[in-house]
Amino acid sequence: MAHSTAQATEQYNYDIVRKFTIMTIVWGVLGMFAGLYIASELAWPFLNFDIPEITFGRLRPVHTTLVIFGFGGSALFATSYYVVQRTCQVRLYNDGLANLTFWGWQASIVLAAISYVMGYTQAREYAEMVWPIDILIAVTWVAYFWIYVQTLRRRSQPHIYVANWFFIAFILATALLHIFNNMAVPVSMFSLESYSLHAGVQDAMTQWWYGHNAVGFFLTAAFLGMMYYFVPKQAGRPVYSYRLSIIHFWALIFLYMWVGTHHLHWTAIPDWTSTLAATFSILLLMPSWGGMINGIMTLSGAWDKLRTDPIIRFLIVALSFYGMSTFEGPLMSLKSVNALSHYTDWTIGHVHSGALGWVAMITFGSLYHLIPRLWETKMYSEKLIYLHFWLATIGIVLYITAMWVAGIGQGLLLRAFDEYGNLAYTFVESVAFLHQPYVFRALGGAFFVVGIVLMAFNTYMTIRKGNRERAELDAKLAAKMAKA
Amino acid sequence: MSKDKTQKTVQTTGHAWDGDLQEFNNPLPTWWLWAFYATVVFAIIYWILYPTLPIGDTYTKGAFNDITYTTEDGKTETTHWNTRALFEKEMQEAREMQAKYVERLSDASYQEIQSDPEQSGFAFSMAKVLFADNCAACHQTGGNGVIGMYPNLIDDAWLWGGSFEQIEQSIREGRQGNMPGFKGQLSSQQIGDVSAYVLSLSGHEMPEDEISRGEEVFAANCAVCHGNDAQGKTAMGSANLTDSIWTIVDVPAADSMEEKKSAVMELVREGKSREMPAWKERLSDTEIKILTYYVHEMGGGK
Repeated sequence: MAHSTAQATEQYNYDIVRKFTIMTIVWGVLGMFAGLYIASELAWPFLNFDIPEITFGRLRPVHTTLVIFGFGGSALFATSYYVVQRTCQVRLYNDGLANLTFWGWQASIVLAAISYVMGYTQAREYAEMVWPIDILIAVTWVAYFWIYVQTLRRRSQPHIYVANWFFIAFILATALLHIFNNMAVPVSMFSLESYSLHAGVQDAMTQWWYGHNAVGFFLTAAFLGMMYYFVPKQAGRPVYSYRLSIIHFWALIFLYMWVGTHHLHWTAIPDWTSTLAATFSILLLMPSWGGMINGIMTLSGAWDKLRTDPIIRFLIVALSFYGMSTFEGPLMSLKSVNALSHYTDWTIGHVHSGALGWVAMITFGSLYHLIPRLWETKMYSEKLIYLHFWLATIGIVLYITAMWVAGIGQGLLLRAFDEYGNLAYTFVESVAFLHQPYVFRALGGAFFVVGIVLMAFNTYMTIRKGNRERAELDAKLAAKMAKA
Repeated sequence: MSKDKTQKTVQTTGHAWDGDLQEFNNPLPTWWLWAFYATVVFAIIYWILYPTLPIGDTYTKGAFNDITYTTEDGKTETTHWNTRALFEKEMQEAREMQAKYVERLSDASYQEIQSDPEQSGFAFSMAKVLFADNCAACHQTGGNGVIGMYPNLIDDAWLWGGSFEQIEQSIREGRQGNMPGFKGQLSSQQIGDVSAYVLSLSGHEMPEDEISRGEEVFAANCAVCHGNDAQGKTAMGSANLTDSIWTIVDVPAADSMEEKKSAVMELVREGKSREMPAWKERLSDTEIKILTYYVHEMGGGK
């Protein structure tokens, strides 16, 4: 084993995977802490301290950008670069270009976070970056696409493994989404302000075509790619169904592109766009579940490992939350349900059951598989992995239930009429009602943050251990050579 | 279990990646396939019922799902399902539900509303939201106001009068309250004396000599608005200075007699202007009536 990984280090570009892995955890800690802070601001508004730079409006895009693009994006770069090399049995194309994707991506996130805090935003959700950062991202992303395609072309395997289909679909779709959504005319060469090329309803629909497919391709398809490698690897079993993987892949890719408009139900959009978005969301349910079924059925021959392997626990919980939130999503996209859920915290709860339950949990599981292999040692502490698992799981459950209470409560308060046909509650009463769920949400978030801090510590100790072991090995080897 | 049985007989696709990565060639789960077909059927029914497919510059309108509604002007319209019509329909239903109360209420006198529990209940129910949306930003959710800025509405002290008619006038036309500053007319000592006198009226212990000098200053400068008895005049919104209620200077919050006096002196010196905006442009007659009734009944209506 030690022999083969030592060989692998030379055969594959693990350096780039290591760098992205470390940044995944760094951004995870920072982004989730930012989330915890703004959740606390909502529960206890004095935490704004009247400092514009740390108010909810500015920190919220910092939170979403750090967790989606910093944590999630770095995790996808790390795992996709690892998976494409391992499954194609070829070194990643062009080390220099790979490094460019690393520095380009990290720079984009740092610049984005700083610009939001200073008050610069494009005011497009999940695409708040001002236009120069958009250009940097576009360049980085095209390099990523080129590296991936070139590596696939050079594979020494006849077939392309399923995980790579998902990764390549994600890279291609994200490039399209990013470029079309950010088409804008800068006010001047030296201004960070710009005007969107689209107008009115079309602008809103472009934004949510982007917004929902950021969920669909970035946070779903790509993480399914991760799942398709790390679940069978960790379980030591073949993927349950090749046929299912083909069918659900194409169905998912086709259907996701249509559903973004369900974010705009009951607004000034043509009614027919709303209907199409709702029905395509319903049609998307089973294709989404295809991935969950393939994952869970792959694990199903290895249930005994749940007792002994904390990584399997992360993976199975991730798949369960994936199944739950992809059921909840189509439900909320129906016009009648949306009339209650829209503009309430139910939406926030829904996105976090996907983001914490699915995206973060599958990432944690995959990284715990990856880290010992990258630094050629064992994890520093298995107990800490168990602890992380429980903290994260309890955190998610607290978070989601608090947001169900908050969101459904809000929705019902705002539409309640008394026996005279008058509104039964004032708006401010619905705000006062939210305080308690917000406290519980912040508590759930705190559990989750403590979990990832433990992971960061565990990883740091593992890397130190790995480096020490390698130094010892080198010393031994040098001593042997001297004797001979 | 049964899954293990099937998997024993199912072959892999024969490919292997990264050493041990393989795929079984299991068929699609039957329940999954049928569930997918079920969502297709659901979608087709949805497409038939609602506006769905764009064709040229129009779109399919949806069938069996028409909406009939009556506008505020009494016109009845029938149209295919659309969100605008749905909104109109819901507004119509709300109007109809409230109509019998609103009609009766707009013809009723305040005394009739007061003696009829049903009308009174309706007025309270509607006023709660009206008050929260229009009045609470200044007078606060409970109507307790902010000392120095916005009058308290739940006690029985009224600057402009607490009868139904006076309250309605305050809401409809607004009020301009203006106490001039006296720093040009009165010396510092005179301002101190008159402040001591004013405080003595509400039972504060002040030096006798200041009170007697202050009484003269008051008669010459203040009585014209606040009255010889210092009880205020509702016609000009001047405050009653003989009770313990303070609307501009927070006398009860000041710790010592010295601080109370200097707070009153500050007001005499600088004066104070306040404005209650007129609501006749923003609220209907019935809404003003309901709010008047609500404010009157909050506490101290007269």
